[in-house]
Amino acid sequence: MDERTRAYLRGRFRDYYRRSDVSLPPDAEAREWGYIPWTAGPGTTMARHNALLDLGDFADFLTRERPQHVYFSVGRYDDPGADSMAEKGWRGSDLVFDLDADHLPSVALGEDSYATMLRKCKDALGRLLSFLEDDFGFCDLETVFSGGRGYHVHVRDPGVRGLDRAGRREIVDYVRGTGLQFEALVSGEAVAGTAGRKSPARKRTFDTTGGWSARAHRHLLDFVDDLLVMEEGEALERLRSFEGIGEGRSEAILRGARENYAELEAGNVDIHPAVFGLARRLAGEVVEIDGAPIDEPVTTDTNRLIRLPESLHGGSGLAVRRIARDELDGFDPLVDAIPETFRGQEIAIDVTDPGLVELGGDSFIIEAGKQVVLEYLGVFLMARGRAEKERER
Amino acid sequence: MATGLRPLHARYPYFERSREAVREADVSLVAAARDEAVAERALARVETVLTEGTVGEPERGTRTELLSYPIARVLVSLVDQPVLVHRYARAEAEAARERFVADLGRRELKSAPGNRLTLEGLLEEFDLDGAVRGTGRAETSEADTERGDGYEMGVSSYLSLAADRRGEEWRLVNRRLAKGWVALSREDVLALLGEAVRQRVASGLPLSVPAEIEAPLEEAVATIEERLAETNLIRDIDTVVPELFPPCMKYLLDQVQKGEHLEHHSRFAITAFLSNIGMETDDIVELYMVNPGFGEEITRYQTDHIRGVSSPTEYSTPACATMQSYGDCVNMDDRCERISHPMGYYEDALEDADDADLTDWRARESEAEAKTEAEAGE
Ligand code: SF4
Repeated sequence: MDERTRAYLRGRFRDYYRRSDVSLPPDAEAREWGYIPWTAGPGTTMARHNALLDLGDFADFLTRERPQHVYFSVGRYDDPGADSMAEKGWRGSDLVFDLDADHLPSVALGEDSYATMLRKCKDALGRLLSFLEDDFGFCDLETVFSGGRGYHVHVRDPGVRGLDRAGRREIVDYVRGTGLQFEALVSGEAVAGTAGRKSPARKRTFDTTGGWSARAHRHLLDFVDDLLVMEEGEALERLRSFEGIGEGRSEAILRGARENYAELEAGNVDIHPAVFGLARRLAGEVVEIDGAPIDEPVTTDTNRLIRLPESLHGGSGLAVRRIARDELDGFDPLVDAIPETFRGQEIAIDVTDPGLVELGGDSFIIEAGKQVVLEYLGVFLMARGRAEKERER
Repeated sequence: MATGLRPLHARYPYFERSREAVREADVSLVAAARDEAVAERALARVETVLTEGTVGEPERGTRTELLSYPIARVLVSLVDQPVLVHRYARAEAEAARERFVADLGRRELKSAPGNRLTLEGLLEEFDLDGAVRGTGRAETSEADTERGDGYEMGVSSYLSLAADRRGEEWRLVNRRLAKGWVALSREDVLALLGEAVRQRVASGLPLSVPAEIEAPLEEAVATIEERLAETNLIRDIDTVVPELFPPCMKYLLDQVQKGEHLEHHSRFAITAFLSNIGMETDDIVELYMVNPGFGEEITRYQTDHIRGVSSPTEYSTPACATMQSYGDCVNMDDRCERISHPMGYYEDALEDADDADLTDWRARESEAEAKTEAEAGE
């Protein structure tokens, strides 16, 4: 990035901060603050171990310093400005989650476009929120587009603050489904009396009301529903494609599903040993389908610094956008995170890395070389290092 | 008004009301330390931890038994070894859990109603009364028990009590969790109350002990130190003994030393493990350096990053579950069955190891030096 580009972005970041009212997180004065200034050269260093007090009036600070990136700590401390963690005096930490396209198994790096990656990330966000709201019952959630390649969720329920690393790791494993065991999904109940030889001695059931068990159950039912609308032959073939399920078993499963659908729907998987076997196989897939592949070290680190909502991301020129829960469905990061300040003008840039860019609800095929483009598009390309600022004519 | 010392106090000396009773009985810690019967029982409490892993048989006299607890804590503090604190707290917790099971089943614990132990009372004692609730199906059938049913605990309380426990069944992912409540059986609740006891016993240890309390206990302290030396427990997690590494880490280290290319997660795992057991970047680089084609610069950089020197975070070793999901868990052995984390494996292995010839890797350069360092308990 050359000097003119940097100067331009710094100036426009200042304009953004002048016009925006960036609100502070709760207990802001008990948190550590960090930022990365706009500097030349590769050695970008973070200025950290700042207390809010050191920064002076915050709105002033943002306009004065117009940093490239701004962070605050998930932790709250007695003395947030102290230089070492030991001296800070930890009081507790928010529980944060980071979903990053780079870490999603479903994302094909180098193949998926930025927009596709973000869409896949938003799907994972939906799954993460389902765990946090339905399973954990958390109430104080803040969901944020990171301004880069994913989403952050900040949980601030009082109960999470005191959790240590080990406790946070358990939560990580839960939402990722790491170490999930089939035996833990089904609960067995001894069936009273000895009904006929064929009747199973145990009645193992999924819990259909919530948790991983309900997810595994949903997955099994979806599979069975698909089977039931297929032609007989097709359904049997589909079943036989599983290792260990042959002709006899696939017929037994299909018959069981038809005759005992209500039982199956209620969670009972012991309607036939073959059905039980199928449930076990399918449960192995549920982690991939329903798990939320969050970035573990972010969540387990109680001293993490994380981007400030409504600040600007210096690597994209997009805003770190807070998303209201009821607006999540319709949220499109590539439209809604474009700062208002950068709309409505055109600027001259020199593109060094051409290609397709999806932004502002539109797709642009950007050629190499000097040209005039919409400002937000220009800012995006320059922040990503794909263009330099050109002198305006 | 003094309530007097009751059997229940002696049985559960860490309860708030037991401490209260001691305060009201107006016995000073100095007097207790000088009381021979009390000191003897206190010594037994700690000594049996080392020999049998329990706190020994309770003394009949309520006063002696009750007072032996604070004195036992003083003894543990004077010896001042983390492993002793750990073992002692664990033994008190296990004894507590057994007593909970026995006493809650009993209709009456000796006469007076104030003497009865109830689950409600226990939960209140540990500030868990709002965090545990019956599901309305409590104790109705065996099936409930088998389903792990009957009670629910708020997830934050659950995590603060269960996260350090070993065993897959305690892992949150294998529990039923809905709307913030974790399903538990009655036994689970009692086990977690045991954990609450462990945390309370261990909290504040080691205490700083005034000289006049220390003086009459010198002999007892010497006895414990001797026992401790015999049991070879003092080798803390900071000792680097590659022979005792978990199989996964042995394998990864071997690969590094052979100069094999490791994927990022594998390299991360071994480096995080080595730094978590207390190795400095220099040591790690040196340990890796056995192979000639090895890139020192990059290793130094990565290692500093993982150790938190050049990044805001010190990373922790991935748990077995994570190792498994990345295919880094290889050659599992018997010990692996009992742990859920490579660090737990190593801690365990160090505790069990019959030492003598085990020396810290860093002390192996010169044989002579190695000996003295190992003896000094580094
Ligand atoms: S079970 Fe854990 S400690 Fe054992 S080899 Fe696997 S990952 Fe390592």
